[in-house]
Amino acid sequence: MRNELRRLVRDPGLFVVVVLVFASLGLFIAFPLGRVLQTSLFPRGVFAPTYFKYFLEGRPYLLRPFLNSLTVGTLVALAGTMVGFIFAYVVTRTDVPGKAVFRWIATLPIISPPFLLALSAILLLGRHGIITRFVQANWGFTWNIYGLPGLVLTETLAYFPLAFMTLEGVLAGIDPALEESALDLGASKLRTFTRITLPLATPGLAAAILLLLIRSLEDFGNPIVIQGRFPVLTVQAYLAITGMYNLPLGATLCVILLIPTVVAFILQRYWVTRRSYVTVTGRPSTAGLRSTEPWIKWPLFGVVCLLSTIVVLFYGMVFYGAFTKLWGVNYSLTLENFAYVFSTGATYLTNTLKLAGIATPLGGILGVLIAYLVSRKRFPGRATMDFLSMMNFAVPGIIVGIGYILAFNTPPIQLTGTAAIIVLVFIFQRMPVGIREGIAMLQQVDPTIDEAAADLGAGFFRTFRRITLPLIAPAVVAGMAYMFSACITSISAVIMVVSARWQLITVALLHEVDNADLSQAAAYGVVIVVVVMLAIFLLDFLVGRVLLRRGKHAR
Amino acid sequence: MCKKWCVGALLLLTVVAAAWGQKVLNIYTAFDVDEAKIYIGAFQQRYPDIKVEWVRLSAGELLARLRAEAGRPGASLWLGGPSDTFILAKQEGLLAPFKESLGWQLLPERFKDPDGFWVGIYTGFIAFASNTEFLKKNGLEPPRSWSDLLKPEFAGKISMAFPYTSGTGYTRLATLVFLFGEKEGLEFERKLSTVVSHYTRAGSAPVTEVGLGEVAVGIAFSHDVIAKGTAKGYPVTLSFPEEGTGYEIGAMALIKGGPQLDLAKIFYDWMLSAEAQSLFKAWSRVPLNPEAELAEGLITADMIKLVAYDAMWAALNRDRLIAEWQKLTGF
Repeated sequence: MRNELRRLVRDPGLFVVVVLVFASLGLFIAFPLGRVLQTSLFPRGVFAPTYFKYFLEGRPYLLRPFLNSLTVGTLVALAGTMVGFIFAYVVTRTDVPGKAVFRWIATLPIISPPFLLALSAILLLGRHGIITRFVQANWGFTWNIYGLPGLVLTETLAYFPLAFMTLEGVLAGIDPALEESALDLGASKLRTFTRITLPLATPGLAAAILLLLIRSLEDFGNPIVIQGRFPVLTVQAYLAITGMYNLPLGATLCVILLIPTVVAFILQRYWVTRRSYVTVTGRPSTAGLRSTEPWIKWPLFGVVCLLSTIVVLFYGMVFYGAFTKLWGVNYSLTLENFAYVFSTGATYLTNTLKLAGIATPLGGILGVLIAYLVSRKRFPGRATMDFLSMMNFAVPGIIVGIGYILAFNTPPIQLTGTAAIIVLVFIFQRMPVGIREGIAMLQQVDPTIDEAAADLGAGFFRTFRRITLPLIAPAVVAGMAYMFSACITSISAVIMVVSARWQLITVALLHEVDNADLSQAAAYGVVIVVVVMLAIFLLDFLVGRVLLRRGKHAR
Repeated sequence: MCKKWCVGALLLLTVVAAAWGQKVLNIYTAFDVDEAKIYIGAFQQRYPDIKVEWVRLSAGELLARLRAEAGRPGASLWLGGPSDTFILAKQEGLLAPFKESLGWQLLPERFKDPDGFWVGIYTGFIAFASNTEFLKKNGLEPPRSWSDLLKPEFAGKISMAFPYTSGTGYTRLATLVFLFGEKEGLEFERKLSTVVSHYTRAGSAPVTEVGLGEVAVGIAFSHDVIAKGTAKGYPVTLSFPEEGTGYEIGAMALIKGGPQLDLAKIFYDWMLSAEAQSLFKAWSRVPLNPEAELAEGLITADMIKLVAYDAMWAALNRDRLIAEWQKLTGF
C-alpha cells in the first residue's frame, strides 16, 4: 500500500490522471445513483421510506411490476439461452452450410434499437397483424400479443445473440479431445453430450442466463411498446417520473429494480466466471469433433433456419412497414414516410449523430484510460475504480437517466435541458464496453514493453501515448464503433434527459409508436438501422485501416 | 473554378448569417405531432424570422416536466391540453400572466383564467371511437352509454389513456366522478381497468389503435376521433355516452421564467387570431374565436349531453384522485 502510494507520488502524471478519473466516476456514476437511493429513502430530507412500506404491504402498483419483471426476466433468460445454445452448437459442432449467414443474422438484433422488435411484433402479430389476419381468416382463431407473450417473444429475439456469442466462445473453448475420448471409450453421442459437453458448458450457460436476465430486467424499449396490461418496473418508474413527477415513487421503483439486477450482475461477474472450466491450453482447436450424422445435424439445422427466418421476418416487416402508406388500412407502397423522417425528423437525426459523435471519442479515450490504469497500474483504490467504472453496465438505463435528473436538475450542477447531459449519459452508460475491449486487448500485450519505456525515462503520458495506445488501437476502434451504434440506438437512459432543444431520433420513433403511427415509426427504424450499419462500416474501414497500419509499425 | 468556390462560399455565408439572425422560440405542446405541425408550420410562414423548436408531451407529462424544471423551463410557451392542468400549474406558480393580450381580453370569462395566467383556445368532448368492421362482424352497436363499455363483447378490446400522463385520460376520470360521484366514479374506473386491453400515454393514441383494429373501442376526445380516425380513412365511428360526457377547455399559457417570453407572446396573440383558429378546421376542433371558420359537420356543445364539469375542482383534486385511481387499479 505504501509502496503504491509512493509510486503514485513519484509519477505526477499518473497521480493527476487517477484523481481526475476518480472525480469523474464519482460525479457522473456514483453521485446520480446515490441521489436515487437518497430520494427513495429520504424523500424530503427525513427518513420516510413510504413506498417501500407500500411495497412490502403488497400494493399492486408496486408489487405487480416487480413480479412481472422477474417473470419476464426468467422466461427470457431461459428461452434466450436455449436459442443461443442451439445457434452456438450448430456453428461450432456441426458442418452445416450457411454458418456465416447465421452469425450475421444473430448480430442484427445487437446493432438495431431493441424496441424495433416490439414494433414489428405488432405489425406481424398484433390484432391486425399480417399473420394474425391470415390465421384468423383461415383457421378462425386469434390471440393477444400485448403483455407477457409479446414481451417474452420480443426480448428473446432481441437478446439471444448475447447468449449465442457467450456460448460460441465457451463451446469453442472445450477441447474436442475430451469428447473424442468419451466416444472412443464407447459412450454414445447423446451420453457424450450430456456427460461431457453440457457439464463443461455449464458455467457458460449460467453466465448467459444471468446476462439475459439482467438485459430483460433493464429493458425499457420493448415493454413500453408492447407491455399491454402487464406493467414492468422500468416502464412504471418512467411513468412515475415523467407522468406524475412523483420522485419518491419513481426512485423506489428504481431501487426495487436495482436489487435483482445487481445480484444477478455480482453472481455473473464474481461467481460464474470463477468456475469456468477451460480445457484448452494454447491454441483453440477449431478442427475436431463435428456432428456429421444427418439425424443430428439436419434437425438442428432446421431449427436454426426457422429461428433465423423469424429474425429476418421481424426486420423485414419493419422495412415493409416503412414503405406502406397507412398501416392497417392502406398497404400501397410509398416513400412518403421517408420524406417525413427527413423533414420532421431531420433535426432529431442530426442531433443524435452530433451528440453520439462527441460522446464516442471522449468515452473511448476515457474507457481505454481506465482499462489501462486498472490492468496495468498499481495505485490505491484500483479495485474501486474497476467496480465504479463497470457499475453502469449492471445498472438499468432508466435508473441512470432518473439519477441524472435527480442529480443535475438543481444547482450546483444544473445540466437538465442541455446537450451536455445527453453526452454525459452516453459516455458513462456506454463506456464499460470500451473498457472490456481495452482490458482484453491489454492482456495480450506484454507489460515488459511498458516497463522498458518507463526504464528509458518515459513518463505516464509518453508511455501511454507512444506505446500502449498504438498497440491497442484495434480494440479502441472496435469499442468505439460499438459505442457509437449503442449511443444511436439507446433510449432507456436518454429518454429522461432529452429536451425541446435536444430531441433524439429514438425518442421520436417512440412518439410515433405512442401515436400508433406505425408506418412512420417503421421509417424511423429503418433510418436508424441504416445509419448504424453505415457508421460501423465507415469506422471500421477508415479509422481501422489507418490505425491498424500504424499499430503494426509500432509493433 | 475560383468563381465556383466564391459563389459557394457566399452561399454558405448567407445560410450561416440567416441561421445566426434567426430567433428561436421553444414550445411544449400537448397536440398530436401531426397536428402541432399544422399550427406551428403556419406560424413560421407568417413569421419567417422566428424559428420554432418544439416537443410534444401529453398534458400530464408536460405538467410533470414543468414541475421538474421548476423555474428553469426549457420552453416559453405551453400549447394545448385541458385547462385542469393549467389551473394546477398556475397554483404552483409555473405560469406567467399575459393580461395585455387583446385575444385574452376579448374572450368570455368562462374560457380563461381571471388573472390572465392561461387562455382557452378550443373546446373538446370525451367520446367513444369504435371499429366499424369489428361491430359489423359481431353484430354490435357502437357503445352509447358508459355501461356499454362493460359489455362482455368488448372485454379486453378497449384502450384508453392513463389519467396521469394524459389530459384526455384525466378528463375521462374526472367526468366519471362528476357523473356518478367520487366513490362510484372511481369504482367504475376500476371495473374499466379489468376490461381494458392496455392504457396509452397519449390521449389520442386509442383512436389509431381502433382504426388499426388493435382494439375494438377507444375513449378519446371527439376531434381526435374524427381527425385521426374517420378523416384519415380508418374504419372508425364516433359515439357519445347518453348519460352525459365531459369536456375540456383546451388552453395555452406562457411559462414562467421561459427564455423567450417576448417571442412566445407573438405566438400567443397569433394563436388567438381568427386566422390561426380557422386552422382548427383541419383537426375538427371547436375554436373559441367567434370569427374563426368551422369545420364541416363540426360537433358542438349544443348537440350532445354534457356533465357539469368543474375544471377548478378537477384541478385541485387531481393528485388525490390519481393516487386513489392507482391504488384501486394497480396501474
